[in-house]
Amino acid sequence: MTDDSDPPDPGGDDDWYGEADPRVPDASAWPDRELGFLGDDVYLGAEAGIPSELAGSHVPSISAEGAAELRELERRVEQQRTPVFPIDLRRRLPLEGVWRRWRSLAMWGRSDIVDDFGRDPRATARWEWLFEFLYSRWFRVEATGLDNIPHKGRALLVANHAGSLPYDSAMVMHAVRRDHPARRDVRPLVEDTVFHLPFLGPIMNRIGGVRADPENAERLLLGDELVAVFPEGEKGMGKLWKDRYRLQRFGRGGFVKLALRTGAPIIPVAVVGAEEAAPMLGKVTWFAKNIGIPWIPVTPTFPWLGPAGLLPLPSKWYVAFGAPIDLGKAHGPASADDRLLVNRLADQIRTQIQDMIDELLGKRRSPFLAAFLG
Amino acid sequence: MASSTTGRVVAVTGACTYLGGELLRRLEEDPRFVRVLALDIRPPALAPGGKTEFIKIDLTQPTIDGELATLLERHDIDTFVHGAFLSHPTHASEWAHELEDVGTMHVLNACAGVEPRRFIMISTTLVYGAHPKNPNFLTEDAELRGHRDSRFVNDKVRAERQVQRYAKEHPGVEVAVLRFAPILGPTVSNMYTRFFSRPVAPVMMGHDPLMQFVHEQDAAFALQQAVESRAVGAFNIVGKGVLPYTTVLALLGRVPLPMPQLVARQLTKILWTTQLVGSPPSFLDFLLYLCVADGARARRELGFSPRLSIKRTILDFLGIAPEDGATDVARAQA
Repeated sequence: MTDDSDPPDPGGDDDWYGEADPRVPDASAWPDRELGFLGDDVYLGAEAGIPSELAGSHVPSISAEGAAELRELERRVEQQRTPVFPIDLRRRLPLEGVWRRWRSLAMWGRSDIVDDFGRDPRATARWEWLFEFLYSRWFRVEATGLDNIPHKGRALLVANHAGSLPYDSAMVMHAVRRDHPARRDVRPLVEDTVFHLPFLGPIMNRIGGVRADPENAERLLLGDELVAVFPEGEKGMGKLWKDRYRLQRFGRGGFVKLALRTGAPIIPVAVVGAEEAAPMLGKVTWFAKNIGIPWIPVTPTFPWLGPAGLLPLPSKWYVAFGAPIDLGKAHGPASADDRLLVNRLADQIRTQIQDMIDELLGKRRSPFLAAFLG
Repeated sequence: MASSTTGRVVAVTGACTYLGGELLRRLEEDPRFVRVLALDIRPPALAPGGKTEFIKIDLTQPTIDGELATLLERHDIDTFVHGAFLSHPTHASEWAHELEDVGTMHVLNACAGVEPRRFIMISTTLVYGAHPKNPNFLTEDAELRGHRDSRFVNDKVRAERQVQRYAKEHPGVEVAVLRFAPILGPTVSNMYTRFFSRPVAPVMMGHDPLMQFVHEQDAAFALQQAVESRAVGAFNIVGKGVLPYTTVLALLGRVPLPMPQLVARQLTKILWTTQLVGSPPSFLDFLLYLCVADGARARRELGFSPRLSIKRTILDFLGIAPEDGATDVARAQA
């Protein structure tokens, strides 16, 4: 362990601010090292949208003398490696193999590459089977109107929200990836409370979730992504069973401002079935704040069955994508500052989604047995 | 490029820091600069060439501003680079405060009396602080929230506020602030390199924020660009790409030690007060929440874009050739 306590010696000569590391054998060696292989940046795909299968393909094929040269370089780099421990144990003991093995092990199942917002294409692929099972077997989702989603370019999906866990955003994502011809990735905006939940938050982030923040959403839309918002937010998730399918206030109309500013069309989405998947009979708030969540849901299965109670009930789901609404055509980007207009538009879209939900509910006969009853 | 016929004179405080030293070396090779003053409390490793002159300046001295002003006038300094900042937290917080906050005041006093043409301050993206409400990419317009109880960060925030006020009061001076993401590389030493040099690293259980670094050579290049350009304002100097914290640890081969928040905070507090670790408890917030900055403005106005990706930066910090690390990772994924 290095000693990091610097003496309060104003005239002193001790290490002050980050100078060259004295442990490095040759601190000024940078320009002297053979930089041929470092010269141009080998692209490792740490940036946005590099499909996982492409990530490894940067390693160039090496000829025989190239390989010898490479070995020589490796040997030289090996000699100049910064010692990690005070005594370089790795050089004294044959630990190199162990160390390598450990690094490989530690990287197993890790996000090797993520895009700018933390989505890892491999993580999505890894959970694909679960989404597919939930989508086609468990919830038996019927998605309609997928052709309303553009094949490329930005669009803002606006959906209703329900359930104590965000299964609805996962199903919207999976519906577009599975059944839309362009197989586009939807980036759902996730409420703070879910995004900062231990374990669940990072998983949401790896499979594509982004913290609900106007700056994030604008950046995504300007990057021509497909963004899904749930303007009801926490209020939507906190709906009780008795209020099911009654849309809550649509935030402060932030999504309308976003659409106006970026010129993205709004695609209204109605999700039916999520309310029954985790019907919230009541919520406990008095202890919840202590563990950092807004409430503890009480469902027919939770907390009675423990963690297993968090599994959703197998309700029948319908997801309908409505015709795109192009706000940019009627109103310019400047109208994003017109609060009255923004609120009016937000309420119009809320009513439209409510109508879509009511229509779907009218079609459905039973929340759970729809498969048999039609 | 605006260089006078006689050539430019640059003064650099914190000449013994990594960035200061690199800047001296780069200016030494550039014929447009005729003279470089290295200001620090001890002589830097001077590059051969003879343009650079070391002058002992201790910014914690109470009347150093007058001395600096005479210096500015005598040498007709055209660009002042202020980089006398600590790169890692210290227990001598009083002294750190004198150096960073009050020292910046002295520097600005001198530069108010004798205005240089250009003033550059070296700062860090840590001044934004790691907060649960941070957007994924902090732009330069974001509020400098610092950290509730980190003196290491807050001294830098105060120094930066002073510089911002100075910029407003002296519109004739081109003021640029460079906010560097944590710098990693084979030779630099700072809080993050020390943190990542330990075999074991704490992980806040269930949290895995995205992290961002900048390679030391990229950082030095950005500073050189800032000296040469005429751009004003704040600039985030960041590397290419982001990676989750646990991936960084895995790439480095460090053992992650997951701890509940409460335990981690108490443990770090004890270890910090007993001076066993170099990172204060407030640093744990950077393992919990995002503090990632957007480098678009530096690319646009400063003409700086990083050369190395984050993974290359990490592997280079370890001193590993890219092929090794890449195949290692590929094998692990296979």
